[in-house]
Amino acid sequence: MAYRWGMAVDIDKCTGCEACVTACHAENNIPTVGAGQASRGRAMHWIRVERYYEGSFPDVRLKFRPVLCQQCDNAPCEAVCPTYAAHQNEDGLNAQVYNRCIGTRYCANACTYNVRFFNFFNPEWPKPLHLQLNPDVSIREVGVMEKCTFCVQRIKAAKTEATAAQRELVDGALQPACAQACPTTAIIFGDLNDPESRVARLARSPRGTKLLEDLGAEPKITYLQKQPWHEPDAY
Amino acid sequence: MKAVYGLYDDPHVAQQAVDNLRAAGVADADITVISSEPFDHFEFGHRDAATHMPWIATAAGAVGLVASYYLLAAAQMSWPLVTSGMPIVPLWSNLIIIFEMTMLSVIIATVITLLATAGLPSRGGKMYDPEVSDGYILVGVENPTDFARLEPALAIPGGRVKRVES
Amino acid sequence: MNRTLTKPIADDLVRPLFQTSVWFYAIVFAAATVVACGGAAWGYQVWNGIGSAGIRWPVFWGFYLVNFVFWIGISHAGTLISAILRLVNAGWRRPVTRCAEAITVFALMIGAMFPIIHLGRPWLAFWLFPYPSAREIWPNFRSPLAWDFFAINTYLTGSVLFLFLPMIPDFALVRDRSTGWRRTLYGLLAFGWRGTTRQWNRLESAMQIMAVAILPVAVSVHTIVSFDFSMAAVPMWHSTIFGPYFVAGAIFSGIAALIIAMAVLRKTLGLEKYLLPLHFDNLGKLLLLMCILWAYFVFAERLTVWYGNEPSEMAVFWASQRGRFAPFYWTMVICNFVIPFVILTNYKTRTILGCVIASFGVLIGMWLERFLIIVPSLATKQLPYSWGSYAPQPVELTIMAATFAGMILLYALFSKFVPIIAIWELKAGLPSRLDPALQVETSLLSTRLDTEAFSSEAERADRGQP
Repeated sequence: MAYRWGMAVDIDKCTGCEACVTACHAENNIPTVGAGQASRGRAMHWIRVERYYEGSFPDVRLKFRPVLCQQCDNAPCEAVCPTYAAHQNEDGLNAQVYNRCIGTRYCANACTYNVRFFNFFNPEWPKPLHLQLNPDVSIREVGVMEKCTFCVQRIKAAKTEATAAQRELVDGALQPACAQACPTTAIIFGDLNDPESRVARLARSPRGTKLLEDLGAEPKITYLQKQPWHEPDAY
Repeated sequence: MKAVYGLYDDPHVAQQAVDNLRAAGVADADITVISSEPFDHFEFGHRDAATHMPWIATAAGAVGLVASYYLLAAAQMSWPLVTSGMPIVPLWSNLIIIFEMTMLSVIIATVITLLATAGLPSRGGKMYDPEVSDGYILVGVENPTDFARLEPALAIPGGRVKRVES
Repeated sequence: MNRTLTKPIADDLVRPLFQTSVWFYAIVFAAATVVACGGAAWGYQVWNGIGSAGIRWPVFWGFYLVNFVFWIGISHAGTLISAILRLVNAGWRRPVTRCAEAITVFALMIGAMFPIIHLGRPWLAFWLFPYPSAREIWPNFRSPLAWDFFAINTYLTGSVLFLFLPMIPDFALVRDRSTGWRRTLYGLLAFGWRGTTRQWNRLESAMQIMAVAILPVAVSVHTIVSFDFSMAAVPMWHSTIFGPYFVAGAIFSGIAALIIAMAVLRKTLGLEKYLLPLHFDNLGKLLLLMCILWAYFVFAERLTVWYGNEPSEMAVFWASQRGRFAPFYWTMVICNFVIPFVILTNYKTRTILGCVIASFGVLIGMWLERFLIIVPSLATKQLPYSWGSYAPQPVELTIMAATFAGMILLYALFSKFVPIIAIWELKAGLPSRLDPALQVETSLLSTRLDTEAFSSEAERADRGQP
């Protein structure tokens, strides 16, 4: 039985602490580019916490929305890649093969969520920070696009382990770094093909919406919230 | 190469020289006319005008169309990767490349046909006179059997006859 | 009778190949210096990383892609225009076609460099090429960038051949008139051309077929360039109007480039007898037509977006209409519509100078149009959190300047080594050569060539007749 990895993000639970962002950076060897480059729009956050303000001072309400790759079924980023660096893998993941990427950056333009990040320069980890690198994740060189993988290295390891032990993967045993780090368990990860998994049940929740659902990309992340989300006035 | 030819300033005189050669019994295929511009509206400029070039180009286009369809499909099936939920061999987007390859086949076939039928590139050694580039029209016969019979036909007022005997 | 008519034409048009003024060296040196700076800038960018350019999240495409679309647009000057004029047998095309086709070839070469310059890993650019490799993977033919590869290469191949084939007889002519290294060079280029009836007939058939084949290719090239944008679900990119809109814009900017090039050639090579005010007048009318067509497309696009009132599209719409991109937008409207329309509708201002001024306006306006298509949309995508901005960096500006200098350099060298006006085509267009039925159509140009231009006292005496 093939897996179909999905996620549910409970916006009502999110406190905006950004522990997920930090965990993601540590797990996936995401370079930090420094203040100068960050101010020039080169910061890389595979997951980001979007802040939106509602109301006017002093009656202001702050809302948080963690946004990461939505692992779309009809991902707009995939078909535009001329080298198959972006494609759908057998688990329904929106895979990014770094070695195939030549850096046209077309995928990042086509992505309606802006969750793809580009290595504008070769990444650096000044000593002793290089000791924190995760050996399971490759380093990406200059000119390569990267993005959230749902911690594919963890998925591969768990699948291999389960196959070796001749058992099925247990729901909840496998977590990407962001879900693991979330103190309020706002991020739930699992197999959408298993109708009884927590993520599959949450995906059916009446509180559930998809981000930019009307564009038809069929994202695999469900956002849960009691009140409907109003996009702020765009202009 | 042996040759005898006349150089003419006026295309009407050149036409007369061509007619004279015919009257002297030279076959149409043996008469060579060389000029520095096409003379579409003179009879001598029409000789040899018939060509299968458009049909060759069309056939090449058809070959390019069919071949590019199968080449694309073979490449896409050889390592089937799904992107954006599209079919492995998506006709809509393949049509664009099929179109380009069809037109490229037409263009290349046309040029190859041109080079082959016009005898290009050529190493020289054929009847030619650089004065053609000054605007003269050359009418002549390569490797003639009988110089004496042809020279009077070419020697008409407004022309100069030249003989190559080596 | 014949030679007195045609020899001065050949003399005039071959002369620039043999006489070189000091200005030529000055221009070549200056342009080559700027091109070298551009090469150095690119080397710097490859060495340090594509981050040397101003592109950023979320504006991942910047000046490089703007210049790509701009130069591919310019390339529609030649082959398309000359193919149309060839097919309808417009007599006035004869002195114009070659300088137009040369623009096409050079602009395409320059434009096709940008997708490689802008790559994150340009040393792997060959992975875009479809060839059976050890990697066992082919390019993704669903990607518009793969379509670009096929379209641009088809158009470049076709345009180079379309330019080169009619040059062969002229090379033969130069070969016969030259000595030394020139004779060897042009002898090689002439392919052993003699000019037999058979060769002329085949060449003319081939050019006719090529003209028919190159027209749809030219249209497809800029359509596919527009697909680079319209295939993505980005606000104001995802539009069915983009194909024809881009093609119209491309022809528009192409004619402008052609007018400027012709005006420069006319002055520098002394071609006043051949590039007549008539040509500028005709091309000016064509430019006016494209100007109105362009305005129509912009209006249709803008009206549809405004009326549809879709929030993410409206964000882009207002960003260019009255937001931070408004100064560029209104400059574009003035340069692309107001200036050319005012100048070209009035026959008194549709002079050579007027056409050139209008053309410079169009070039600036069309460059801004491409900028306004690419950058505001990327900077203002669906999620307002990820809005951004973009500013070009010195490398981008240097490389951009180098491409303009590169165009000047290539064009200067081309007009030095090749007769910039097709000599044999011009000769074949003289009235004494033409079918009586065609003479009316082409009489304007040809009578001038026959009577005015060559009827100096001495020549008339030479001809021995009035």
